[in-house]
Amino acid sequence: MKNITSKLTAAAVIAFTVFFGAASLVPNGKAVIPAPTWDNIADGGFGSGLSSCAAQHFAFSESWRSAGSRLDSVISGSIVNGVYIADDRLIAADIADRGDTAESAAIVNSFAESYDGAVYFAAVPTSAGVYGDILPSHLSRVTEKQQIDRLYEQLGGDIRRVDAYNLMRMMSDERIYLRSDSKWTMYGAYCLYRTVIQKLGIQPLSYDKYTIRHVTNEYRGDLYERTLYMKCEPDILDIYEYPDGVQVTECVSVGNDGTERECSLYDPSALDSDDMFGLYLGKRGPLVRIRTDVNNERRLLVIGSECAASFVPFLTQHYSEIAVVFPEYMDRPLDTFIDKNDYEQTLFLFGIDAVTADALKNTETR
Amino acid sequence: MEYSSLLFIYGFFPVSLALYHITPKKLKDVSLLILSMIFCAFFGVRYLVCIAAYVLFNYTAARLTDKLRKRGAVVCFIPFALCMMFDIFALFAFRTERFPVMYRALRLHEGFFPVGISLFTLSALGYLIDVYNGRIRSEKSLVRYSLYIMMFPRLLMGPVVRYDTFTRIMDSRRSGIDELGKGLTVFIKGLAKKVLAADTLYALYIAVDSYDTRELSAVTAWLGITAYVLCLYFTLSGVADMGVGIGYCFGFRFPQSFNYPMFSSRIRYFAAKWHVQVIHWFRSYITKPFTSSVNSRYIGKLIFIGAWALAGCWYSFTVSGALWGALMGTAIVIEGKLRKSRMLKATGIIYTYLLVTVFAVFLASGTVGSGFGYLLAMIGGNRSLTDDLTLYLLRSYLVVLLVTMYASTDLFRNMLLRSRRLLLRKVFMAATPAVMVLLLAICTALISSSGSSEMLLLRL
Repeated sequence: MKNITSKLTAAAVIAFTVFFGAASLVPNGKAVIPAPTWDNIADGGFGSGLSSCAAQHFAFSESWRSAGSRLDSVISGSIVNGVYIADDRLIAADIADRGDTAESAAIVNSFAESYDGAVYFAAVPTSAGVYGDILPSHLSRVTEKQQIDRLYEQLGGDIRRVDAYNLMRMMSDERIYLRSDSKWTMYGAYCLYRTVIQKLGIQPLSYDKYTIRHVTNEYRGDLYERTLYMKCEPDILDIYEYPDGVQVTECVSVGNDGTERECSLYDPSALDSDDMFGLYLGKRGPLVRIRTDVNNERRLLVIGSECAASFVPFLTQHYSEIAVVFPEYMDRPLDTFIDKNDYEQTLFLFGIDAVTADALKNTETR
Repeated sequence: MEYSSLLFIYGFFPVSLALYHITPKKLKDVSLLILSMIFCAFFGVRYLVCIAAYVLFNYTAARLTDKLRKRGAVVCFIPFALCMMFDIFALFAFRTERFPVMYRALRLHEGFFPVGISLFTLSALGYLIDVYNGRIRSEKSLVRYSLYIMMFPRLLMGPVVRYDTFTRIMDSRRSGIDELGKGLTVFIKGLAKKVLAADTLYALYIAVDSYDTRELSAVTAWLGITAYVLCLYFTLSGVADMGVGIGYCFGFRFPQSFNYPMFSSRIRYFAAKWHVQVIHWFRSYITKPFTSSVNSRYIGKLIFIGAWALAGCWYSFTVSGALWGALMGTAIVIEGKLRKSRMLKATGIIYTYLLVTVFAVFLASGTVGSGFGYLLAMIGGNRSLTDDLTLYLLRSYLVVLLVTMYASTDLFRNMLLRSRRLLLRKVFMAATPAVMVLLLAICTALISSSGSSEMLLLRL
């Protein structure tokens, strides 16, 4: 009996291994085999690259990962791949102290010193910051609130701060963050817009002026990608339009090589791509220049992270020109793209998870 | 490349197995050495070069020692001593990373670690001592000796067997689908220990470890250290089982390193079942030679405790690790005195668990001070018995803890062995192939997002 069991085990396991091993040889277009160089072969980087490549290339990898997430959540409670699975949403559970914000603050301070206009800074919490209460206590001890407070303390006195954290916390019962992503919804952006625009000295447009369209109800964000947790409902992406309001007359995306291409506030073609969040302002580049038919000569410079993309459509109602800069995508300093002193106001709008010296370094004056 | 990685399980392992089995008998050792070199190269060519140089140096020194010893020359001590110093220095330098000059001289990048150095150093030292003492002759075949040090099924977690045992195993290799089935069963069992049990327990341990010990409630501290002990057991025995299972598939019947030590009824039983070959190595090469040269029983006991302290140091290369070993040794000595105590009989499993867990605090802590701080938390020194974290951890991990505690004992195996109902055994045997495939599938799903399960509590 023992021998038969051993033979059957050998046959079953070999069949299983050979099947999935062979099926993984079929190219799936996702895996990138690392290029061998002397350095990575010598220090083992090539071997670990191959190991990662094997994971991406593994047959039916998405189904495996999805099954793995479910198993993980059954076995070890609610944390899968650094993401906490709450009843109705996914929350990043790997909020580490993102280190010293002093360097980032110093860059913003140096920007403000060489700038003639007014500088505003809004550090936006991620969903983990706002819904941190749901997280087990040992995961939420370094709160985003502390990180934002620390950053604000380090910013110069002439920079006006926007208290995005408390505002978003107050609105946390509303649909202000995506369920499957750490980013906010367009409604979340609208909530902050009302506060920000008043700081900038302008009256906000009321909510009922907008026509809201749900453009997709199949959005699955970065947290879903990390867990492949199917039970988390996909999100709805909205666009806010004001047909009777100010119209955009020009929207141009400027690349690092200086090439310009037309873009729009909302790019529905992104819904068919891997980056559905590109719906807002289209494919990301270093600079987007927006001109409107409002005749007030107000010019605003927005320097921001991903969350700024869904925020900008609200600002277009009040400015004749807005330059939206994504320093993360810039390969050279900001003043090689624009003259910042052409703009009377500058708004730094960053997710607190994106406030890093690396992301901001290109905004430094040469 | 870890054993518990997709690349190994679905790539390297089946391919190497196929290549090995189609190789003519005469060339099997060479093919195994080439496969082992490829396995090493996955950790970097620098690692391969280092281990190859290590093998060559040790091989040459052992040959020289043997030749000079046969001539009765006292000078045979020179290559022996030089090689011993070289091996111990290499182990110390790489484990402690306190010799940046050596890293720079060898052009090794920061963080470079020769995987398995703790294990293969014990093998190399044991072999050298045996040759010097004339217990065995030095190996003439460089291929065979290279396999002793760097054979890939033994590389990551041993077992550390004596050279004559190794050659006996190599010479009595078996092949056939039966061996393959047994090997794959042991391999998958080890994989499940590592991926299912150890990785989950690690999450619990880390959840507790992320706190300052001054903030911990007593129950949380107990949960954390229990998770650590179980995680350590499942990690070490899981990787060791995988290695032994791979060895079986190649026809080598290496002994298993762990024999269900957790929840033993005596500390000495625990010690006899924990990392058997490593503990045996310290007994054979440290305790025995030194105790045989002294007459005093007390000094003998001190040497015994000292050898355990050395074993503790081998695990962690810290003072607190040595303290763990010394405490284990002392407990075994004291237990020997109290062998007939009724109290001991009545509380066997509980007191063993308590001692093993309390001692493990020092293995887990980086320093002796932090170890005592943790112990203080365990006895309620932070004036808190439970808190929110305790409840959350219990809610999330209680089932895992209970299941892994049960899995770490030999209760299930004994139930099968003692079962008089043939039907129960038959059902278990019939279900084994399906259970193994299921376990492999579950482990594959769990490592599919990262590609491997690399978490290790100790780098050996």
